Amino acid sequence: MTLVFLVLLSITLITLDFRGDSGVIDTIRDGATDALAPVRDLASDIFSPVGDAFSGITGYGDVRAENARLRARIDELEGQALQGEASRRELAEALRLLGVSFIGDIPSVAARVVGAPVSNFAQTIELDVGLEDGVDVDMAVISGDGLVGRIVQVSSRRAIVQLITDPGSSVGVRLTRSDELAIAEGEGANRLLSVGFVEIGVEVRTRELAVTSGLNDSVFPAGIPVGRVTEATSQPGELQQDVSLAPLADLTRLRFVKVLLHQPERVRATTTSTIPVEPPEGEEVPAP
Amino acid sequence: MNDWALRLPPVLLAAVLVHTALAPNLRVFGVSADVLLLLSIAAGVAAGPERGAAVGFTCGVLADCFLLTPFGLSALVFAVVGYGVGVFQTGVLHSSWWIPAITAAVASAVGVVGYVLLGIVVGQDQLFSLRVVEVAGVLSVFHALLAPPAVRLMRWAVADTAPSGLLPR
Repeated sequence: MTLVFLVLLSITLITLDFRGDSGVIDTIRDGATDALAPVRDLASDIFSPVGDAFSGITGYGDVRAENARLRARIDELEGQALQGEASRRELAEALRLLGVSFIGDIPSVAARVVGAPVSNFAQTIELDVGLEDGVDVDMAVISGDGLVGRIVQVSSRRAIVQLITDPGSSVGVRLTRSDELAIAEGEGANRLLSVGFVEIGVEVRTRELAVTSGLNDSVFPAGIPVGRVTEATSQPGELQQDVSLAPLADLTRLRFVKVLLHQPERVRATTTSTIPVEPPEGEEVPAP
Repeated sequence: MNDWALRLPPVLLAAVLVHTALAPNLRVFGVSADVLLLLSIAAGVAAGPERGAAVGFTCGVLADCFLLTPFGLSALVFAVVGYGVGVFQTGVLHSSWWIPAITAAVASAVGVVGYVLLGIVVGQDQLFSLRVVEVAGVLSVFHALLAPPAVRLMRWAVADTAPSGLLPR
């Protein structure tokens, strides 16, 4: 009898959440997140040496190799930064002319990563910022290297970020050399992004940079570096190429990130058309 | 008020903290222990099907607070797993230390697969991948190792015939 009651109660909760027309579930989630935040911070500080020691034991060789690689990379990037500044200005100007928002114009808030993915399936992190800091759902999150993900849940003092490697994540990208528009989808932790909608015949090169396209209703502003192409192959008979993308941001060792305080202007589905129509010549348009 | 009603809340609070602050940083093949699922299983072993289901449901609700999947999904799976383990455990002439470990391993795998299947039913298609096998396998090993202390803890926390402290019977 107990089990039947609990099963029915669970199904009721799932239904309420699935319908999305009840604020009760959100209130419970946000309340639990905010109420436990200080205690979880404390616990995280206490437990972090244990986690660091565990990571050190299991990944010592990798850390040494990565340290050497990063030192070389810093030298390389310092040179590129000087060249990149001029290009960035040109891109910003071009995008401004097209009416597309550019990352350089968008205010941001710095955030500390306070939680690793709790689930073994979803790729998420928790940030120590929330509604009180101006953060809201669908805002883009970046690191110094590139795109990290987007905010999918937010409470007063905490925000959950869906990483671009999450199997439910998809990002509109533009391949910078071929200028091809595509969709990069997550495939899970430590796996490459899968890029879809790249037509056969388009020349995609290894190490080609992909940036956010920022087109249409995209959550992400244009021009955020996402990753580099690692492989592009095509099978006979297929209509599109299989392209893999390695994220630029190291999503396994994030400490601090930035949340771009930018939300896309979503076109709400209505029964009437939202496409602006030019009025006939000579006819006046009434003021709204 | 029953003693277990006083002992269980602090245990669950501690479990949430370990589940969200410690376990995610201790990963093997990218998989971390699911402390709340483990406690649901341990409650079934320690206190039988009814209380196993109740503790499983509570643990599931707590887990759902920190997940993006539909609220109630973990609660449903954990309640059924806690109940199932309790039913199985009452039919076993137990005293061997390894029985809870094997039970936890099998129940963990069942819990993971059940979670994914129910998730797909409610539209969480992204859960379906070969990752399920990896998660189920690693979790089974994790939980088999952690089951003996977890069962002792839950015997202390939820069983009416409370042993003296956390020492094994």
